[in-house]
Amino acid sequence: MRIAVITPYPPSTGTLNEYAYHFVRFLRLKPEVEEVIILGDELPPGESYDLTLGAATGSCPMTVIPCWRFNGVDNAWRILQAVRRTKPDAVLFNIQFASFGGGKVSASLGLTAPSLVRMAGYPTIVLLHNIMETVDLKNAGYADNPVMEAVIRGFGSVITWMVLRADLVALTIPKYVETLEAKYKADNVVLAPHGSFDETKLPSFDLPDGPMQIMTFGKFGTYKRVEVLVEAFKRLQENGHSALELVIAGSDSPNAAGYLESIQQSYADLPGLRFTGYVAEEDVPRIFRESAVVVFPYTSTTGSSGVLHQAGSFAKAAVLPRIGDFAEVITEEGYGGEFFEPEDPDSLAEAISRVLDDPDRRRALGTQNFMASQGLPIRDVVDWYLLHFQQIIKDR
Amino acid sequence: MEVVRKTAENVLVLTLTGRFDAHEKAKIASQLEDAAKQPGVQVLVNMSGVNFIDSTGLSSLVQGMKHCRQQKGNLSLCALQQPVRIIFELTRLDRAFDIYQTEEEALTALFA
Repeated sequence: MRIAVITPYPPSTGTLNEYAYHFVRFLRLKPEVEEVIILGDELPPGESYDLTLGAATGSCPMTVIPCWRFNGVDNAWRILQAVRRTKPDAVLFNIQFASFGGGKVSASLGLTAPSLVRMAGYPTIVLLHNIMETVDLKNAGYADNPVMEAVIRGFGSVITWMVLRADLVALTIPKYVETLEAKYKADNVVLAPHGSFDETKLPSFDLPDGPMQIMTFGKFGTYKRVEVLVEAFKRLQENGHSALELVIAGSDSPNAAGYLESIQQSYADLPGLRFTGYVAEEDVPRIFRESAVVVFPYTSTTGSSGVLHQAGSFAKAAVLPRIGDFAEVITEEGYGGEFFEPEDPDSLAEAISRVLDDPDRRRALGTQNFMASQGLPIRDVVDWYLLHFQQIIKDR
Repeated sequence: MEVVRKTAENVLVLTLTGRFDAHEKAKIASQLEDAAKQPGVQVLVNMSGVNFIDSTGLSSLVQGMKHCRQQKGNLSLCALQQPVRIIFELTRLDRAFDIYQTEEEALTALFA
């Protein structure tokens, strides 16, 4: 089977690039897969895709065709043309609602691609990492007033309906499946586990010499905001936790260019605050291993958290916002953590303190998250998609 | 989880009882792996005693089915309890497996 995957793929820094990297490296190892064709986004000048990335003995050939651009308005058409040129046996979209653009128009137009590809006759599965119904549009930077929010939600329903024209839409959370089945009467939505990126033994809980690192990881500026975390860090320092470092690992969200730079300027005099900038794939393990606790300073959520899966795979304790959907989702998945009230730096400082001051608690949470992250390796999840593709092809 | 093995003509029947989750994965996976070494093997997993299955349990069955099919055989399921059937439907794996209502029905079909 030749499979085309429409996705951001490293070194592209688009969201879901890391998930794509892990998914594709296992996809290439499956005996039924002859070739993987990445239909990725165009890279900045001077950058290029590395076809050996993630390759292992037995990997099938991989081709990367940059054929869409974040914020482009003709992405769906260009993707369709690329699919027609490459003629894959099956097409997988690894996307979320803002994969194709930070603006309403570009994001929406891009999401028509799965229906176009399916209508062109290609078996099509969309792995949709969030659904419009659970996106906090205000926090995500798409709507700044109730009227606009209502308009976007209505339009979002139309776009969701378009996405549901794919042969199958895979979702990683049972609640999302229920929502789409109930609201859209969809009979082609399916639950597919997120999967853990790596299979490892329980990692060591030893930390490097030096200050204990409180780390947050992601793309910041919309619903992931660090102001409350920095304020909580200041509270911890004021309360006598002197040997601490706050590591903000990652870059701006595409919808919030300049956000981290403004934070850096605002807190230029704060000791112990470190910004890593974009974290390359090879540096991700070190960033996680060196941290004593991983904090999720989210003001809302758009589903399960890939970062939490990563934190779990490194057996890290997590400090999490008490947001209904997020708490429910991670609890369902077996994860745990210390919780804090969003927007409340005192609550966050206390939650971090409960982890840092109690090594046994830190280990227990780390072990729990590790076990949860190891639930189902992405290597096995890939097989589920192959089965679904085989079934779609058989049913045609 | 309890696993009872028996052979009915050319069909290996594994009857499972209990929860089928991450803690039980290794036990079942090894049995399925052993079974799948035989060319053309037909495995029937009787799930009548399974009251819970999670993604790792499902994955064990998927792997078992893949291995059997690679040997030109198959892995079928029968007697799913309602909560387990719902999980299969939610994941659409009910369409990937041959699923029978009862062991008798399955054996009749597999013997045919």
